[in-house]
Amino acid sequence: MNDLMLDIADIRKSYRVGPTEVNVLKGINLSVERGEFLAVIGPSGSGKSTLMHMLGLLEKPDTGTYHIDGARVVYDDDRVLSTMRNRKIGFVFQQYHLLPKLTALENVGVPLTYRGIRVGEIKKMGMEFLTKVDIQSRANHRPNEMSGGQQQRVAIARALIGSPAIILADEPTGALDKKTGEEIMELFQRLHRDEGITIVIITHNPELAEQCGRAVKIIDGMIYSA
Amino acid sequence: MRPGRKNYRRDDLFSMNLLKINFHEAFRSLWSSRQRSLLALIGIVIGIGSVIAMVSIGSIVQQESIRQFKDMGVDIISIRKSYGGETRYEFRTDVVMKIPAESRYIQEVAPYVNSGTEYYSGRAKTNMEQMGVTASFFSINKLQIREGRLLSELDQNRYYCVIGKELADFLRQNGTSPPLGSRIMANDRAFTVVGILDQSAEGGLRPYGINKGMLIPLSTAVRTFQNAEINTIMARVGADVPAERIKADVQDFFQKKSRGAQVEITSAEELIERMKKQMQMFSLLLGAIGSIALIVGGIGVMNVMLISVTERKSEIGLRRALGAQQGDIQSQFLIESIILCLAGGIIGIVLGIGISYLFAYFSKWQFVMSFSSVILGFGVSTVVGIFCGFYPARTASRLDPIKALRS
Repeated sequence: MNDLMLDIADIRKSYRVGPTEVNVLKGINLSVERGEFLAVIGPSGSGKSTLMHMLGLLEKPDTGTYHIDGARVVYDDDRVLSTMRNRKIGFVFQQYHLLPKLTALENVGVPLTYRGIRVGEIKKMGMEFLTKVDIQSRANHRPNEMSGGQQQRVAIARALIGSPAIILADEPTGALDKKTGEEIMELFQRLHRDEGITIVIITHNPELAEQCGRAVKIIDGMIYSA
Repeated sequence: MRPGRKNYRRDDLFSMNLLKINFHEAFRSLWSSRQRSLLALIGIVIGIGSVIAMVSIGSIVQQESIRQFKDMGVDIISIRKSYGGETRYEFRTDVVMKIPAESRYIQEVAPYVNSGTEYYSGRAKTNMEQMGVTASFFSINKLQIREGRLLSELDQNRYYCVIGKELADFLRQNGTSPPLGSRIMANDRAFTVVGILDQSAEGGLRPYGINKGMLIPLSTAVRTFQNAEINTIMARVGADVPAERIKADVQDFFQKKSRGAQVEITSAEELIERMKKQMQMFSLLLGAIGSIALIVGGIGVMNVMLISVTERKSEIGLRRALGAQQGDIQSQFLIESIILCLAGGIIGIVLGIGISYLFAYFSKWQFVMSFSSVILGFGVSTVVGIFCGFYPARTASRLDPIKALRS
């Protein structure tokens, strides 16, 4: 077995929009090695969101195979798929997507609630991961009491807490100003460098891609090496 | 074999923790939209409250009426002229008084006449029930004397009266004090008050209005009343005689005295049975009204839950992305709905018991707490919660995570 964290082979996906069939992904092949920091760059409409959903197990491909951490993804059982998502994927969204009524600490713990871990243990781990992203001082704040950069840090802690195989970040700096965006990218780099975490960033911004270890382009549903 | 599948089954023993967290989350989310939750509750509160109140009041009334009968004794019957007969027959005092001697089962009889009138004392006015009674009337109805004496056979044709407690109070308040020994006017005749009765319970076979009554000798009444027909005879029967035998016996007696005379006989037992049946009908009706309120309340809850699902689409999408299974989402919303309905149910139970307590208090009846109605309240509100939460919860769990996340 090679040391591939993600391995997708010939994945295709099409949608029916009215009478016409739109091919969004036209046979994607992509491998991500353990500990790699990859950027997927593409303009809007290139199929990059669909690819992101595909990688995040939120979407089922029409054809093709997907292996995460050596396990092949099966799509026909929601429980298996959800559990796999819970264990293997850590999402970071452009809009942070924190639950507004929960505190930072509670938000970080959400993925663990679906693993049957006791509340006390979840809190302890939540604090640990908030510290890892330097936001422990805001543990008891709600999202609307935090800046965008702070919220994104909380979201990153939430992605990390379940020790997933891979962090999937969808335009993680898209809603932030330049300086804060750079701080978030530095955080990703540090996590990658110090902890060997596998990260895939999906962005339209080529500048971000330069800060990643490797970059691929997605254009019109096909992957090209940058 | 499909690789990877087995490792991703979740140990269901762990879901107790999830359940705990779900409860916590449900409380939080209901609390954060408390105004809406409260509005949704109103329907459930009214529904459960009315069901509980109705069931409780029903059992209070039932207990009370049975208590009244027991108080008076179940060995009392009432004999009434039947209006169905071809010939018009009149009870005659001398004939009626012979019943205990000639009947096998009847031990004592109390024929009476009554006429409702008004009594004036200056400008004050009260309703008064004038009754012509025999001495046996007091013992059959278990009337207790408070002051003075009862009427006896020696008072026949005399203008003496025994008055009920409420009438005595009225007289006292309006200047006739003490009432005992005073003379009161009725039908242009003055009656001397020789006795005052204790308060007596109303209902059952007891004639209406004894507490506001002016009880005079039957013979006097027959002479002075405008319509002095005896309509009803109360009678005491021997213990443990079947109602059917008594009926046949009494009917025989009147047939012998006058061909074609028909009487109707009501025993206390029969009346209790009839009342029980009536109460059941009443409870059923009230229960139906309560159920309608509950259905309306349930629809309210379903509506609130649907709004909640729509508002929290992106939360649902996010939770799915973070690994929530469809079942997790479904149970989250179902728990929320059950908690909402249970909260409404608890308030409703308290309300219903409060209403029935007030009802008992104001009608001076004994309050009975019906525990079965409390259990019923909890049960019904849980069922409503599950029933009305199921569809919204299912809708939530079936949302496409991507679309939900984008909204």
